Amino acid sequence: MNRRDFLVSAASAAGFARTRDDCDALAHPALLAVLGGETVRGIGQRYRALVATERDREPLRSAILASGPLRSFWMPRAALAQRVRADFAAGRTVLVAGWVLSVTEARQCALYSLLPSPPTPR
Amino acid sequence: MHIDARTLPNGTVLEGDLCIVGAGAAGITIAREWIGARQTVLLLEGGGLQYEAAMQDLYRGDIVGLPYFPLEAARLHLFGGTTGHWAGFCSTFDGIDFAARDWVPHSGWPLRREDLDPFYARAQPLLELGPYDYRAAFWQQQDPALVPLGLDPSAVWTKMWQFSPPTRFGTTYRDAIFAAPNVRLYTHANVCTIEPNDAASAVQGLRVRDFAGKELRVRARHYVLACCSIQNARLLLVSNVGNAHDLVGRFFMEHLEIPSGRLALAPTAAPAGMKMYEWIPHVTKARGELALAPAVQREQRVLNATVSLDPGAPDEVAQSTFQAVTPDVLAAQRDSEAAGSHEPSSPPVPSPPRSGRFFHVMTRQEQAPNPSSRVTLSSDRDALGMPRARLDWQLTALDKQSFQRFYDVLGREFGRSGLGRVQVLDWVRTEDPAWPRTLSGGWHHMGTTRMHRDARSGVVDADCRVHGIANLSIAGASVFPTAGAVNPTLTLVALSLRLSDHLKRRLA
Repeated sequence: MNRRDFLVSAASAAGFARTRDDCDALAHPALLAVLGGETVRGIGQRYRALVATERDREPLRSAILASGPLRSFWMPRAALAQRVRADFAAGRTVLVAGWVLSVTEARQCALYSLLPSPPTPR
Repeated sequence: MHIDARTLPNGTVLEGDLCIVGAGAAGITIAREWIGARQTVLLLEGGGLQYEAAMQDLYRGDIVGLPYFPLEAARLHLFGGTTGHWAGFCSTFDGIDFAARDWVPHSGWPLRREDLDPFYARAQPLLELGPYDYRAAFWQQQDPALVPLGLDPSAVWTKMWQFSPPTRFGTTYRDAIFAAPNVRLYTHANVCTIEPNDAASAVQGLRVRDFAGKELRVRARHYVLACCSIQNARLLLVSNVGNAHDLVGRFFMEHLEIPSGRLALAPTAAPAGMKMYEWIPHVTKARGELALAPAVQREQRVLNATVSLDPGAPDEVAQSTFQAVTPDVLAAQRDSEAAGSHEPSSPPVPSPPRSGRFFHVMTRQEQAPNPSSRVTLSSDRDALGMPRARLDWQLTALDKQSFQRFYDVLGREFGRSGLGRVQVLDWVRTEDPAWPRTLSGGWHHMGTTRMHRDARSGVVDADCRVHGIANLSIAGASVFPTAGAVNPTLTLVALSLRLSDHLKRRLA
């Protein structure tokens, strides 16, 4: 393990990945810009229904964080984007509601679906 | 020269050097090549110069097996053939389409793509296409707005198409055929029987019949069947010619044209727009579709396919080709053109992209060659007394699996590139081998007299001559051993040019 990997692992282990910004990023997949909130919420609900062990916030966060060190932990959004692309490249994909998704972003959708729905504008 | 065969006395014998049966894209292509030659060419067309319901009814047939479009609506029985209602989609087969692929039973042509290249180049102007260049980069040079998506071309590449106006062979080449002193076009000349010699080693003559029961005889040094895949097979089966190995009519193939998924582009995916993938009838000269690279096809062991991206809304349900273009739509188009309009009568012009980021993904996949997918003869007879065709369209597990793997790769590549996400429709992802109600072909009939070097595996040889019959050749898509991913017209015209060159050497 080189110095950088050590720092990254240590930071993850120490809970750096649970900063407010990070939690926000985990529950806000880049997919929102592609599919919109309603579809992403639906995907998240389907994922939680499909994967019995990942229905709640903590197991979902843990699964995302445990699936590999977030190398750029100080920039969780960029790191997550990188992770999502790596998932696709490695075939770590899952079909949810027919969408071909990275495992990481599917979990992000599930986290997003646990957030309270935004109020309907009057 | 044009002669209406109905005006000839019963028992008339037509004699020439080369007799071409069928005046569609293949038949007219060959006939044109012989204009001015010293040989006499007889061009026999069963229909007339205009659409006639009674003639069209001769193409009616039985459909068993998978549901299919009415046979009498899928082909046109008149001078010019089905070019009278085609849409003009043209592209070349890929190198892999000609190869023997160990995961595709019965695949492999006795030709390579390079062998066809010079004929593709000659076919381009006949179909009123642009330069013989199907590289995306070339078309981007012609129009900088044609920008391919930034996918990894070693996984998913942009395959180019060109669009014919579309060329209606019956009108575009009519004057040239009529004016040719050595080409005699006989309309209303339906060939009902091919008569072999006693040894069944050559064709001795043809028998032509009309509705009044009048018969003509045809004698030539060489004969070419160019009546389309179903009718070529029907005529050979009726005449019991070329079928020593029970191959005639087998391996009927279509292109599986089915809505299969949706694409949501990322907001930054196509800053230059999606003109590269748009098609506006009578306007678009070239566009791209997405296809898997040959190496990926090998790795995934899938059939070749391309997908078009049709602008739509996320909650819309896309229609298949058969659903969108019904026999009524085709009839309206035909009537409109007969009335002199060159504009489409139906509304196939796609509306502009609504959101600009959502697309229906329509697949056009080759069908795996399948001996059980076949044309045989019906017990029902047509008005000329000929047994009608009976189509038993059958697909295999490979056809379905290929869709699944294609969309898995496509979805991963859009995700990896960050360009968007792909949604796969239910019918694609289910393990159920059944096909959806949207199952559709493209009215592309291929393969019923397939080409193979070995007479036990093909009806015609590499020169399109019927195995064992010295003076009978076949033109058209019926000789295709595999269907490729693209519409057959350009390739069948190229093959017809190649056959014509071959016959010129033989009949010199």
